[in-house]
Amino acid sequence: MIKFVLMVNQQGQTRLSKYYEPVELSRRAALEAVAVRCCLSRSKHQVNILPAGDVFVVLKSADRLLMAAGIIVLEEQLLIMFNLDSVHIILDEMIQNGRIVETNKCRILAPLTAIDKMADG
Amino acid sequence: MSDVVEKTLTALPSLLSLDSQPGSARLSTNSKLGNLIRGITELTSKHEEEKLIQRELLLIKEQVSSPNTTMMKEIMVRAIYCEMLGYGVSFSYIHAIKLAQQGNVLEKRVGKCKKTLHSYPILSLPVTMDLQSTNLIEVCMALTVVSQMFPKDMIPAILPLVEEKLNHPKEIIRRKAVLALYKFYLIAPNQVQHIHNKFRKALCDKDPGVMSASLHIYLQLIQENPEGYKDLAGSFITILKQVVGGKLPMDFNYHSVPAPWLQIHLLRILSLLGKNDRSTSEIMYEILDESLRRAEMNHNITYAILYECVKCIYTIYPKTDLLEKAAKCIGNFVMSPKINLKYLVLYTPKNKNNT
Repeated sequence: MIKFVLMVNQQGQTRLSKYYEPVELSRRAALEAVAVRCCLSRSKHQVNILPAGDVFVVLKSADRLLMAAGIIVLEEQLLIMFNLDSVHIILDEMIQNGRIVETNKCRILAPLTAIDKMADG
Repeated sequence: MSDVVEKTLTALPSLLSLDSQPGSARLSTNSKLGNLIRGITELTSKHEEEKLIQRELLLIKEQVSSPNTTMMKEIMVRAIYCEMLGYGVSFSYIHAIKLAQQGNVLEKRVGKCKKTLHSYPILSLPVTMDLQSTNLIEVCMALTVVSQMFPKDMIPAILPLVEEKLNHPKEIIRRKAVLALYKFYLIAPNQVQHIHNKFRKALCDKDPGVMSASLHIYLQLIQENPEGYKDLAGSFITILKQVVGGKLPMDFNYHSVPAPWLQIHLLRILSLLGKNDRSTSEIMYEILDESLRRAEMNHNITYAILYECVKCIYTIYPKTDLLEKAAKCIGNFVMSPKINLKYLVLYTPKNKNNT
């Protein structure tokens, strides 16, 4: 089960966080700090999967976007941040209840494009 | 599991970059959120960040009492951002609820997004209203919110509405209804006892999306009681045959692999059903062989499928030549230059027992 998704920039600032299990606000900052510290210090030659407490954090870097169950490390992709609400919507379509529910690109984007059409027109 | 997640999340960056053209309903790069984020990025100390956010929160508090809904959306997004950084924004919750009730579709969505970050019982009223709306998008959003967080005691009230959506002509709504029922099953299994036959109907649905949503429920049900679902083994095998054989529409392909996550799900279900059961395992051998053969490309996602296949082969009633093929596969993983594969084989707890 995916417990959380984090997007983090190179300095370790959280850009987006989504939790699939109830976690108190105060604990979240500590959790994110630990996870981010582990991930940012990984080199390319090390394994992407790391145990952190009772959770396995998997991270994946693709063009400096690190993602995991997990963490994403962003290059300065502020364009993602400016559409924070859309990112949440997309993530909601893909992952629900900590499970991956949809991976078909067209279907994930369909509600978002419909909402945009309604908002514009 | 973790490698599966890894592959899944790789898909996200490309999706997000698809979405990067600013539309009129989107926040522009000069917006207040943009400035806020830029501001935070430039600061280096926690203390300064706190000062900036506190200032921002005061600003939000003042603006939030304005009745103008267009501004509200942006304010809510900023509030979400502040909260994500760990600052309390409880004053904004009531406004999020108001936004979710009024306002156009996007505003409603943002309001709901805000609330799903916390469980809030008052949410159920706007959700119930939206579920009955004729606007498809509102129904979709309501169902998404229902499957994310919903108070247990409100389930009886909303259950009939969700059940009704199972027969909706639009597949996206059927799919989301199935996922909402999955959530209900997780939090209150006794309340959904009576609709197990509807799950079967969803499994046989002609749309692959609805069918794969029902697999989540089945995985959970089978984990708890494998004996009760042995009769479905044949159906799962047929579905897997169709997927592996390329019968699904092209847009379910991921890097030319047909619906990999669906395959992985089915393989997990099959391994649960075939465990310690010779007769059920025997009907699976052919499809496992086929999956092993097809997943021969060198891509991360095929490694995930191979991994699941191998796990399945080791869990069910053994067959010699399949075991040999699985062992060869593990050998390839260990010898591979990719460190993740070696780690997967050597260190994941499941494999520790098998090797």
